[in-house]
Amino acid sequence: MSRQPAAGSPPRIAAILQRYGTALAGAGVITFFLVMAPNFSSPGNLLNIVKETSFLAILALGFALALTVSELDLSIADIASLAAVTAGWCIQAGQSPGIAVAAALAIGTALGAANGFGVTVLKVPSLIMTLGTAAIAKGISFYITQGVAFVGRWPEGFTGIARGATFGVSNLIWSLVLVGIFCLFLMKSTQTGAHMTATGEAEEAARLAGIATKSMKRLGMILAGVLAGITAILLAANLSSAAPNMAGDFFLYAIAAVLLGMTMFEPGHPNVPGTVLSALVLKSLGNGLVLLGAPYYAQDIVLGAVIIGSVALSAGFMQNAAFKV
Amino acid sequence: MTEVSPLFSLRDVSKRYGAVEALTGVDLDVYSGDVIAICGDNGAGKSTLIKVLSGAEIASGGEIMLAGRRMHFRSPQDALAQGVATIYQDLALAPRLSITANIFMGAELTRPLLGRFLRVLDKARMAKQAEAYLKRLAVSIDDMSTPVERLSGGQRQAVAISRALRWNANVIIMDEPTAALGVRETAMVLDLIRRLRETRHTVVLISHNMADVVAVATRVAILKSGRKVFDTPIDGMSAGRLAGLIMSGGQ
Ligand SMILES: Nc1ncnc2c1ncn2[C@@H]1O[C@H](COP(=O)(O)OP(=O)(O)OP(=O)(O)O)[C@@H](O)[C@H]1O
Ligand SMILES: [Mg+2]
Repeated sequence: MSRQPAAGSPPRIAAILQRYGTALAGAGVITFFLVMAPNFSSPGNLLNIVKETSFLAILALGFALALTVSELDLSIADIASLAAVTAGWCIQAGQSPGIAVAAALAIGTALGAANGFGVTVLKVPSLIMTLGTAAIAKGISFYITQGVAFVGRWPEGFTGIARGATFGVSNLIWSLVLVGIFCLFLMKSTQTGAHMTATGEAEEAARLAGIATKSMKRLGMILAGVLAGITAILLAANLSSAAPNMAGDFFLYAIAAVLLGMTMFEPGHPNVPGTVLSALVLKSLGNGLVLLGAPYYAQDIVLGAVIIGSVALSAGFMQNAAFKV
Repeated sequence: MTEVSPLFSLRDVSKRYGAVEALTGVDLDVYSGDVIAICGDNGAGKSTLIKVLSGAEIASGGEIMLAGRRMHFRSPQDALAQGVATIYQDLALAPRLSITANIFMGAELTRPLLGRFLRVLDKARMAKQAEAYLKRLAVSIDDMSTPVERLSGGQRQAVAISRALRWNANVIIMDEPTAALGVRETAMVLDLIRRLRETRHTVVLISHNMADVVAVATRVAILKSGRKVFDTPIDGMSAGRLAGLIMSGGQ
């Protein structure tokens, strides 16, 4: 048989635009603010953006891992808030920072596992399951705090997790780098990552190929919970306080970061570099808009447009990249 | 041929779905290197037969012998582990994943990274082997990272068969492999089946297309209302005669 080229591979330039078009546009947005927005480029502001990006990107990577196994996790922000409140409660009660950290991680893991159980065993669609988990987590957060924030002079052993620096670089940045490398390694270099991807792409085919698809789904949702727990620790340590709904503002941002990330690098697939870059772009956008004097609610409008636009772009313009859950 | 023992045999196999008797007392011997076509009208029990053979369904009665040993397949994975692979009508591929990812799905190659504690995917070796599997089927595609959705129907069949080869399957069951294909693609898939035969694989083929059956099969078994009513070598049989046999139920 003769050599047959794969049909329909796009020409070179189009392929490059498809992969990097929105990434370049994002870089354009950041450049615009660097030039146009007063104080955007000040070291203090840039550091602030990078820190905000760390919280956001870590939370968003959890959403991306759940989406990799084709599940929507709408509970990440409320899990993070509950985990933060739990850590804060431990600190207020005089527990050691280690206990507070462990408690936050345990909350994230447990609620992620609950989502996984609901989806794979109880057969509740993830959209519904995680919505329920979100409501429960939110309720418990308010119960624990009685509606007020935990604030106080928290031990440096705890606040240092976020405020400290290692080798002259903020621990927040280190956290993002470590989490990012872990996710990238998991997804790209391990058999588990390949099995998660196959499960998300074609569950029945993966099952017939002997992949433990339910375990992969549970793993994706547990990891989303764990990353929400890590985000919670960093948020609480950075603010030296914990309030119910403290991660609420990150919810839409995280979803937007993942979906915008899916339009770049690996169009149509949730991916680590796309998610991290998009988190940076979105946080720059939010910050720049404020500096340019745009009203606060403009951010929400922009986020909504980014969410819809990203999915439309994935599904339409890049024909091979229909978004499915 | 008859003194050689069969590669696998069905003995008095039956399958009931509630009150429906989908298969009744089916005996079938398949020899290594056979391409056996299973024919019959709609509802005759063809799909049920291969589901039982592939572990997707468990027979209600009778036994399946493979290389002289009695098999108790409880799942497609059990059958796969014994070298019996099924290529489903929808091919069970992940359209947006690469050729390599599809061929190695669930059985990825890894290499050690840090001693024996951490193993990572060996992408280069998988791509190379994927190409080799396709070459064995006389199919060459330039780029193993091409998503399967960009391939033609025949090329997709080749990917699905390569996955079966990756599992070291020596019995390959195909349900209507040419059903959705055009003339050229059908010719390609028939070539793939001939290739499998040349490489001493055994193929069980379900097809409604008589021309395809007489073109590649070595034998045909005809089912009617869950019973095997006819079992004969093809030996130059015409498509018309085969159609007549199916309609008359082997008379
Ligand atoms: N899961 C099931 N539950 C109940 N009855 C079934 C089931 N699967 C098959 N049957 C019945 O068993 C009989 C054989 O079905 P089967 O699918 O094996 O036929 P077939 O020869 O593959 O037909 P077709 O050519 O239409 O694919 C039919 O009467 C069918 O209605
Ligand atoms: Mg059928």
